[in-house]
Amino acid sequence: MKKFAALVLALIMALCAVHALADVAADVEAGQAMTHDELVEKALAETGTFVVYGNTSRISTAAEEFAALYNIPYEPSNLKDQEIYTKLRNESGSAAADMVMIQDGAQLADAIDEGLVINFVPASMKDALDEADQQPALVHQYINKLFIYNNKGDNVPAIKNVWELTAPEMKDCVIFKNPENEKVNMNFLVMCTKPEWADKLAEAYKAWKGEDIDLGSYKNAGYKWVAEFLDNVIFGKSDTTIAEEVSQDTATGKIGLFVLSKLRSSSVLTDNLTVAQYDATVNGYTVEPFAGFMYPMYTMVNTKATRPYTAMLFIEYLMTQEGFKPWGKSIGAYSPNGAITVNEGDLTIDVWKNTLVMEDADYILENFEVEDFILQHCQK
Amino acid sequence: MDQAKTQNVKMRKLWGRVCSWLSRPANVILLVFLIALAALTLYPLLSMLMETFTIHVGREARAAKEAAGTLSLYHFQRLFATSENDYSWIQFYQPFLNTLIVSLSASVIAILFGGTVAFLVTRTNLKYKKFVSAVFTFPYIMPSWTLALFWEAFFKNVNIGLKTSNGIMAAVFGVYMPEWFVYGAFPIALVLGLHYAPFAYILIGGILRNMDANLEEAATILRTSRPRIIWHITLPIVKPAMLSTFLLVFASSMSAYSVPVFLGSPVRYYVLSTKMKSLMDSYPGQAYIIVAVMILFGVGILLLNQKVTNSRKQFTTVTGKSGQISKINLGKANLPVAIILVIILVMVAVVPLITFAMESVIVKAGDYSLSNMTLDFWIGTNLQERLDQGDSTGILLNPKVWNALGYSLGLAATCSLIAGTCGILVGYGVAKRRGSRFSSWVNSLSFFPYLMPSLAFGAIYLAMSSKIPWLRGFLLLGLVGSVKYLPFASRSGVNAMLQLSGEIEESAVITGVPWWKRMARIIVPIQKSSFLSGYLLPMVSCMRELSLFVLLVPTSNTILTTMLMQYSEKGWAQFGNAINLLIIIVVLLVNFIVNKLTGASIDKGVGG
Repeated sequence: MKKFAALVLALIMALCAVHALADVAADVEAGQAMTHDELVEKALAETGTFVVYGNTSRISTAAEEFAALYNIPYEPSNLKDQEIYTKLRNESGSAAADMVMIQDGAQLADAIDEGLVINFVPASMKDALDEADQQPALVHQYINKLFIYNNKGDNVPAIKNVWELTAPEMKDCVIFKNPENEKVNMNFLVMCTKPEWADKLAEAYKAWKGEDIDLGSYKNAGYKWVAEFLDNVIFGKSDTTIAEEVSQDTATGKIGLFVLSKLRSSSVLTDNLTVAQYDATVNGYTVEPFAGFMYPMYTMVNTKATRPYTAMLFIEYLMTQEGFKPWGKSIGAYSPNGAITVNEGDLTIDVWKNTLVMEDADYILENFEVEDFILQHCQK
Repeated sequence: MDQAKTQNVKMRKLWGRVCSWLSRPANVILLVFLIALAALTLYPLLSMLMETFTIHVGREARAAKEAAGTLSLYHFQRLFATSENDYSWIQFYQPFLNTLIVSLSASVIAILFGGTVAFLVTRTNLKYKKFVSAVFTFPYIMPSWTLALFWEAFFKNVNIGLKTSNGIMAAVFGVYMPEWFVYGAFPIALVLGLHYAPFAYILIGGILRNMDANLEEAATILRTSRPRIIWHITLPIVKPAMLSTFLLVFASSMSAYSVPVFLGSPVRYYVLSTKMKSLMDSYPGQAYIIVAVMILFGVGILLLNQKVTNSRKQFTTVTGKSGQISKINLGKANLPVAIILVIILVMVAVVPLITFAMESVIVKAGDYSLSNMTLDFWIGTNLQERLDQGDSTGILLNPKVWNALGYSLGLAATCSLIAGTCGILVGYGVAKRRGSRFSSWVNSLSFFPYLMPSLAFGAIYLAMSSKIPWLRGFLLLGLVGSVKYLPFASRSGVNAMLQLSGEIEESAVITGVPWWKRMARIIVPIQKSSFLSGYLLPMVSCMRELSLFVLLVPTSNTILTTMLMQYSEKGWAQFGNAINLLIIIVVLLVNFIVNKLTGASIDKGVGG
């Protein structure tokens, strides 16, 4: 009897959960065809606190302005990628987020398959965005991590070729965040082993050394570059720390690979720093074969959202000029919406797409075992 | 017919025995706690063990080439026996060896440092005792990363680590410390050792302070030399306390996360906890195996500890008989020893606070000139316009900070109330039924949460809460905090009760005084300060807890520590330092107020 009761209870709970998921999916499907006014009407009819998770600090400012605009109670949380995924898996009801802003395309693809999040593209944005920026997940912005060096002293590492970073004299001069601690960094290194980038690295090697690359036991030039790059790298705690440290007067000869937007921080001595790609653009050369890497930041609706229409309205808001303001006021964040232009002094998204390694979630998912190789070179 | 009668008699006898057994309050307490602790600690443990055999969705399923949800030995094979790319060596064996080195060294440092200071304070005529005694628990009250951050900021230089900037030692004194001193095993062990030295001080000091003077007096009368007295009388008496310290420090060091991250990462020195954290992201099955290994080690030491505690080498130190312990005269060594001790304590307990205060008022990192200083990060307004980072107001004008402070205090008070009260009851039950298997089970179960790394404990409770709709928010945080800190309170309760000689309660039992009255009128008043201190330890620990709550808080602004982590992550160093200082000041203040109002203090918490 007890077993039967437990079974019935479990069945009811499972049905409730399926029903909730189906509800949000249906709402999102309906929302895709709605006008802005219809979304507003539906969102304002929802009750409870609007909960937002994001791994960008500026989500709080955006949420604050959005909530003030529509008079909606809100609660933003700034969390790391993995914390967001863990919470998505385990939270439900009013505690669960309604909407998330998240990076790491590879893990997001898994989260979509798992049914944790649903993609929503506002009707008003369908024509303004490239198809690749709409599916399988809506890209809110692109973020770039660039080679940025200290420009003081006699030994300025003004690189023109990434193989320069593997030279013995660059040992302990390159600072990067540990790929074990932030997946987008791991994704970048995995991407370097993709045949397309490996071929470019092989060409760059020839341009640097004047001879064909000797791969030795490496599978391709990408593996060789990753191994030798990591051998020269020191791991910094966070992108902000790296920006601050590389900018110190005492940090001559040092180069970092970190988020460009960190230059906005008041604690960074920006006069001491030069962005390799900026210098290349001004002086008419290219950093071979890439000047850093770029990855998307996505916005998604939680399948357990209790305010799905508010989530959709917020996503629509974030894609507009006004919603992009918290990011758009400084360099290093690029909207896929062509109507939102970049800041003065920054380069356009098209330039970056041609000079940086772009994240390819499919390749990363298919080649996850490359991570073992990378981990091996993250040791001493 | 006869058979039925016999059966009936047997049943009655059994019922009678059950009634008689239940009439003893200690038995009821133990039974209730056995059931509750089994649900709150064994269930998480079992669900965690299940995770080590389960293939999780996503990367794990792809790597194992098995469907998500299947049970498999894949994680064990992968973590322990994969030679390709040195996987097992990198992910498990090397960090395991590092963990052993660091944890063992930290335990030795804590016992030597804490024990020596405890001896100097309780058994000698050392100068400045009051200061030493007051400040010695600071490193424990402060979050462990405090000392690690300070260590790096103080000793870093352009020849080591990131090789980009000089810390105070190099910039001001021109002294460039070598890399092994600033990063890697040595500083990690030292910082953890110093952080946990108060355990040794409290446990060993408690026994030294309360020990029966008759033993030493007898030896003195027999003209035994002082070293011989220490070696043959004092040390054997404090041996159980030393072993307890070893257990506490070893288990804590093994699961410590932030100290190895700050002081190990720049030189690629990894320990099990850092590997567990990074594996949790992609391969949770392997991460949980690491947790299981940590727990296994903890249990090993716990068993060893219990063997000693249960043996005859346990001493009742509060007998109702008083004794004046003779103090060793340090003579000419007194002042130098006292000064050295004061300098060390100032370095580890006071200078970090000054450093945090400094770092919270400078705009550009590394520039300590007055023109680079501002109180904006504390009391400024419109900061986002001017600095383009962090919050728009200084922390003291930010309602988010005050809300988080209120939540943190409320949570800490709740956890301490629940854990502290349960600790007294567990202590009573365990002490009264000491030696019985039942008592031993409850004692072990109540200590068990201590051996679970906080991060994993939080993750398991998060998974549990997903199946229990009402278990979330404050309730969830309060429950997990109470269970996690129960070991402090139960240790305190057990130790306090074990110190009480049975005869103290016996006369009341004979005259038929009910249990609650005996507790309220006799036991609690005698050990009041120990019990109150048992409330204080969970309170302090909860206020500065991060890993346990990080996955469970509704938002990152809910409590002060998650808020601090968020600020540090974003690199808003000044806000982070200001909040860090705020946490420390609040904790010290709480400790001080409770101490002044009730006489309880952390240093009485564990040792009684």
